[in-house]
Amino acid sequence: MVNPIMLILIPLLTVFLINLVNIKWPKFSAGLSFLAIALTTGMAFTLLPEVMQAPIEVVIAGTKAPIGINLLIGPLGLMLSLIILVTSLLVSMYSFSYISDERKGMYSGLFLLLIVGSLGMVMTGDIFNLFVFFEILCISSYILVAYQRNEHSLEASIKYLLLGSIGSLFLLISIAILYRGLGTLNIADIAARVGELPPSTRIAAAAFFTIGIGVEAAIFPLNSWLPDAHSSAPSSISAMLSGFVIEVALVVLIKIVFSLFAFAALFWLLAVVGVVSLLIGEFAAYRQENIKRMLAYSSIGQVGLILFALSLGTEAATRAAFLQIINHAAAKSALFLVSGYMIIRTGSYQIADYRGIARRMPVSGFVFFLAVLSLVGVPPLFGFFSKFSIVMAAVSSGSTGATVLTGLVLLGTVVEAAYFIRVLQHFYQREPAKAVTAARSERGAGAESSIEAPIAAMLPVLAFALFLTGGVLLLGSITGLADAAVQDLFARLVSVLA
Amino acid sequence: MRKVVTGLLLAGFLFYVGSLLAGIFLVDAPEQPRIVGSTILAGAEDEAGAANTVTSVVVLYRGFDTLGEVTVLFLAASGIALLFGHAGKAKIKKGNAGPGFILRTGGRLLYPFFFLFGLYVIIHGHLSPGGGFPGGVIVATGFFVALLTGDRVNIPEGWFALCESLAGVGFIGLGLVGLFGEAGSFLAQVFPLGDFGSLVSAGIIPFIYAVIGVKVAAELSGAVGRFYTSDEGETL
Amino acid sequence: MMIPLSIHTILNIGSFGLLVIGLAIIFTKRNLITMVIGLNVADVGANILLVNAGFVKDGTAPIFTTAVGSAQAMSDPVPQALVLTSIVIGFGITALALALIVKLYRRRTTLDVSKIRGLKW
Repeated sequence: MVNPIMLILIPLLTVFLINLVNIKWPKFSAGLSFLAIALTTGMAFTLLPEVMQAPIEVVIAGTKAPIGINLLIGPLGLMLSLIILVTSLLVSMYSFSYISDERKGMYSGLFLLLIVGSLGMVMTGDIFNLFVFFEILCISSYILVAYQRNEHSLEASIKYLLLGSIGSLFLLISIAILYRGLGTLNIADIAARVGELPPSTRIAAAAFFTIGIGVEAAIFPLNSWLPDAHSSAPSSISAMLSGFVIEVALVVLIKIVFSLFAFAALFWLLAVVGVVSLLIGEFAAYRQENIKRMLAYSSIGQVGLILFALSLGTEAATRAAFLQIINHAAAKSALFLVSGYMIIRTGSYQIADYRGIARRMPVSGFVFFLAVLSLVGVPPLFGFFSKFSIVMAAVSSGSTGATVLTGLVLLGTVVEAAYFIRVLQHFYQREPAKAVTAARSERGAGAESSIEAPIAAMLPVLAFALFLTGGVLLLGSITGLADAAVQDLFARLVSVLA
Repeated sequence: MRKVVTGLLLAGFLFYVGSLLAGIFLVDAPEQPRIVGSTILAGAEDEAGAANTVTSVVVLYRGFDTLGEVTVLFLAASGIALLFGHAGKAKIKKGNAGPGFILRTGGRLLYPFFFLFGLYVIIHGHLSPGGGFPGGVIVATGFFVALLTGDRVNIPEGWFALCESLAGVGFIGLGLVGLFGEAGSFLAQVFPLGDFGSLVSAGIIPFIYAVIGVKVAAELSGAVGRFYTSDEGETL
Repeated sequence: MMIPLSIHTILNIGSFGLLVIGLAIIFTKRNLITMVIGLNVADVGANILLVNAGFVKDGTAPIFTTAVGSAQAMSDPVPQALVLTSIVIGFGITALALALIVKLYRRRTTLDVSKIRGLKW
């Protein structure tokens, strides 16, 4: 049997090895990081049957849980790990050709650390260890956002860093309050004894925790960094940040709320905040002219939707939210990756400059089309099932409030469809824009030839597209995993407090 | 206007949080550490074997946190390296007023003592306050003083990266000894404990702390040095 | 309610004060370096709060020496280890923030947040 701690240790060890390799042969680092991610992904899949039977607890430093740190890998943690690993495996394949400057050795290391941070966050069973991995995740994203080193990315990174550090400060205060009250850091142990705390203490800890992780989970009003950060990062990194980083923070927030701070009022607050994020994100995306900003605002909207579904607090809605997380990871990653090569070829971020681009980049155009359909939730695609089940779960939960919020969610979806159709209209227009006719690929052909991205970059994009269309066939096993994850999450929910 | 609004918001926030926290923090301190702390103190001699229990918590009980913490430092160092680009050779920019005679001479006299004291702090981490982090910082301060005095530090770029990587691999390697050995868990205490309170004691702890010391020293020296280099086409 | 005015209480109040001062600096000042200083002040506040969670009445440092008898109460070692981690993380963030600011200053030659379009909140 593979020890689940290896999922964290292998990428981390590879980071140090890459740093060693970078001294002399930086060109091998990308391959090394790809191999490490592939190995880790394989290991995660081999853990699957065992975890479905019972959660695995990993003891660290030979000391049992409340004294030392432990990792706790249940179906929820493993499902998120698989989303993280599969997405980053495909994105790292895309990065082979996409990241080609002289600093690509460092890129691979930072990319792996982003994965280490996310994996640690979903697997750990200790609240301070959660903070440490949260910091690894945050700091590597600050750096990767600034990777291009131009004014926009530096400004975005500073803004992200300042807000993110305030968030981690709040998280730290929450941990201090919990330790002061209970004298333990293990999440399961805190959950068992959290009733001993006076209500005011518990509310204070919940507030600081929600604000702290909320910054990274891009919950409205704490999401002002997101459009800048996601739009000025390299497209491969935008795909990672939008594809799973926000969602990981969100699920960890919900997991902790379920196990420690199950206040009914907090669930309602999060549901309302989710819908507000959704509407603000979608309406702001409608007004964007820059393709990456549009996708970033769309992510705010999608995360709002997921938050809404997660905080309804019913099993059906939570399962639907998990499916939507998978759908969003695949669809939004595909969109960002496709737009990455469109930006390289045309040299422009403006949607207006992409008129007629689908003729010269037929595969990219088609993948964009498919991903948009899945994100909006058009029937045969994967997104339809997740979105439809969210709406069904929300309506059948029975309360008037949830039904009203569902109406607003549908409004958001309409807006989403509207702006994506506008983009597709541009893509498939007959008259090409100047930037499109002027575009040349590295193969240097004429104005009519294809300027499609290289095959190494198209394969992962096609894999995402294949999942969005063919994923329906896997729906049975994916729902099975999601169901187990829902059970894992609800096992933590002892009682909801008024 | 912006300041007034921010002030009011802060005041409201302060009042609310203050009233919540008053119930938490204006209570008196306990007489004994709580369950986790007491257990660790009770097992200090037989389990971890380090006279300084903070060290045994940092390196052993919460060693996984420390691995993450070292990774954060590594991240910061590589982020700085990424931002300032590959400087071929550290070109130290001299300000208008170069380092004076006193700083230069004093600095040169002090380097060996920085290293010596840093080493002492690292080696005695399991016995007295200190250890890998402060010790590493003290060693790095030696490099920093060298930069301040304008002396060329003739250490090739690769060396810092080499030290940092090998130390990182060493940390994980020491942890894996526990995982694949009898103990069966990462970062377990696998070496004999030795004589409680003496220099050769506490099993694996001094080794891990030494590795951390090397890593911290290399990362900080590298990171500080980066601020003193300038990349192509940019003026300081 | 009678508040016992021990070192423990004073440290708690002080740490909370530092937190508020630090956050106030971040939200009201417009110079980037000053904002990073504010972040550091707030960070120190949080660290004191954290390390103070392990305060024990009349406790000594949790280090076994020949001078300390086993009867003497020792303070909780766990928060002291946590605060070490937190300080190092704070250092990392500060170093990175300063590097980003240096880099931005070389491009923009200003540190004023209100003059940098992308930094308006």
